[in-house]
Amino acid sequence: MIIITGASKGLGRAICERLLSSGVEIFGVARDVTNVPFESMNCDVSSYDEVKRVAQALKRDGKKVSGLINAAGIASMNLAVTTPPKVAEKIIKTNLLGTIYCCQLLSPMIFRHKSGSIINFSTIAVALGLKGESIYVASKAGVEGFTRAFAREMADFNVNVNCIAPGPIGTDLLKGVTSAQISKIVSQQIFQRQFTPDAVCDLVEILLDSRSNTLTGQVLHVGGA
Amino acid sequence: MSDNVELKHRIFKAMAALLEDRSITVSEDTPLLGDDSALDSMKLLELCLSLEDIAADLGFEFDWTSEAAMSKSRSMFRTAGALASEFLSQMASKQ
Repeated sequence: MIIITGASKGLGRAICERLLSSGVEIFGVARDVTNVPFESMNCDVSSYDEVKRVAQALKRDGKKVSGLINAAGIASMNLAVTTPPKVAEKIIKTNLLGTIYCCQLLSPMIFRHKSGSIINFSTIAVALGLKGESIYVASKAGVEGFTRAFAREMADFNVNVNCIAPGPIGTDLLKGVTSAQISKIVSQQIFQRQFTPDAVCDLVEILLDSRSNTLTGQVLHVGGA
Repeated sequence: MSDNVELKHRIFKAMAALLEDRSITVSEDTPLLGDDSALDSMKLLELCLSLEDIAADLGFEFDWTSEAAMSKSRSMFRTAGALASEFLSQMASKQ
């Protein structure tokens, strides 16, 4: 079974649907799973205790967990100096601490089997140092650093830990970002075109496949950066 | 032998099974953290999984991710005895 956070919408939901269509057993995690049509549980990943409850529930179920995809994330386009402290805190807590908590609490269910894959999510904004996204970039740069170090900690257990860093993908996360801004970001990618969630889902499937088990501690840029 | 003493021996046996140096006898004072630790970090995590399994056999969940687990002075991982005591204490409080 693969656990996916951020499963109710955006990239997380797209990944869930792709994996389901490929016949993979999944378990979704999101703040509100009311309209999620597959096995799932309410959980705000920025809360250690809520993530712990998910881990306890899954352990009780006794299902074999072979992967974790940390797709939950939030963004806020704003200059650092005009970002209210509560917004800054929420971004760091959800994107960075949320990823860390999920890895801390859910990875033991993976590494006990001495194989598996963990996929975290960053953004092209880190590589490009995008203006107006400094706090979001800080949170995701943390995720990239965490991924590289955590990959070494998991290597003894034959668990791969990688990070996907997409460019602007058409999801709710881009709400409030103008098409001119998107074009400007896309123009800085190596492939200067906007990719769809399908491209990210393809990469997720590749990273879950045992044939990519030589890859770990990597940050993979969709579109190239 | 009381149940708790027997269980402590079972825990020490689980630790001993993970030791590369089979000449080491696991006792109350066997360190699990620091330079003198009998187990490397990977083996320590494997031990935690073993304790999870023993706890599941006994009908409770062993939590090795609490604040106390991380504190250097109070850490349940400072010695084999401390870890076994924490295990027994969690078992007592959850049953």
